[in-house]
Amino acid sequence: MATEKELSDFLKSVEKRAWKRAVYAVRDDDAALDIVQDTMIRLSEKYADRPAAELPLLFQRILSNATMDWFRRQKVRNQVVRNFSDFESAAGKEDDFDILETLEALGGPLQSESAAESVSRAQILQTIEAEVALLPARQREAFLLRYWEELDVAETAASMGCSEGSVKTHCSRAVHALAKALKAKGIST
Amino acid sequence: MKNDNRYKIAAREAAESRFARNVAACLTESAGTVAPDVAERLRFAREKSLEIARRSRDGAQGLGITASGEAIAGFSQSRWWLRFASVLPLVALVGGLVLIQDWQNRTQISVAAEVDEALLGDDLPINAYRDPGFSEFLKAPPNE
Repeated sequence: MATEKELSDFLKSVEKRAWKRAVYAVRDDDAALDIVQDTMIRLSEKYADRPAAELPLLFQRILSNATMDWFRRQKVRNQVVRNFSDFESAAGKEDDFDILETLEALGGPLQSESAAESVSRAQILQTIEAEVALLPARQREAFLLRYWEELDVAETAASMGCSEGSVKTHCSRAVHALAKALKAKGIST
Repeated sequence: MKNDNRYKIAAREAAESRFARNVAACLTESAGTVAPDVAERLRFAREKSLEIARRSRDGAQGLGITASGEAIAGFSQSRWWLRFASVLPLVALVGGLVLIQDWQNRTQISVAAEVDEALLGDDLPINAYRDPGFSEFLKAPPNE
């Protein structure tokens, strides 16, 4: 069983990232805060007796469910049918884009290309965040869980409720879309 | 040729991974600087959650104490008696209602029997013979 300190430390370590993830998904700061609070409370209510090692995966799963619940409530409230299945990137044709070359070019710490002096670090971060937020929902979720939350492929698949192959596909597409978008904006590594 | 392809795939995956981790590092850097009001609300949510977890643990401990009491009393191995104890009041209620119904039936039968006994055992009053209706009743054939 996780001690109170372990639970507190865990929540402290994930709360900001969780909020950002929720913001990317719902694009509303207050709603994202509600989602994170709801997630923390659900974790504490139902899984406080679990070992500390199990908390990260449980938390990510609950956060994903809470975000989906928010979308469902919004859908009912607004009576607007939103197409969640449109996870395919609009820019599907990448024949004229050598991803390997771009990825190799985007190797080190991120910086602006030619206008490095004029573009501040904060602006670069903002641009990256905006591009991450623009990713299709499933790609973004897979990318963030896999690389930001540092879950392995199996854990990401368990958290998203899909196969490991789907996780790899989503992650790869997300990386390619981000690389292309950042390259187009003159941000490289 | 095969090795060449494998090398290309591995190189691609390594490049993807490196790029993704760079982006993740930027996101971490960005997430470190949230607005003070957001940080405050997150702190409040965390404390509220910890309070809930504390209460949940206390509840579990309370159950633990109960369980140890049962163990001392020797009931911990089976919980059937708990279920039995929970339905016992219902059984007692139904049994009580059946007994009351039976007692009322017996009382009514007893009262009716006493009335019948008094009527049959007593002499016919003289006024009965002077009642025209009774005379007609006596004259009438029994099968009518």
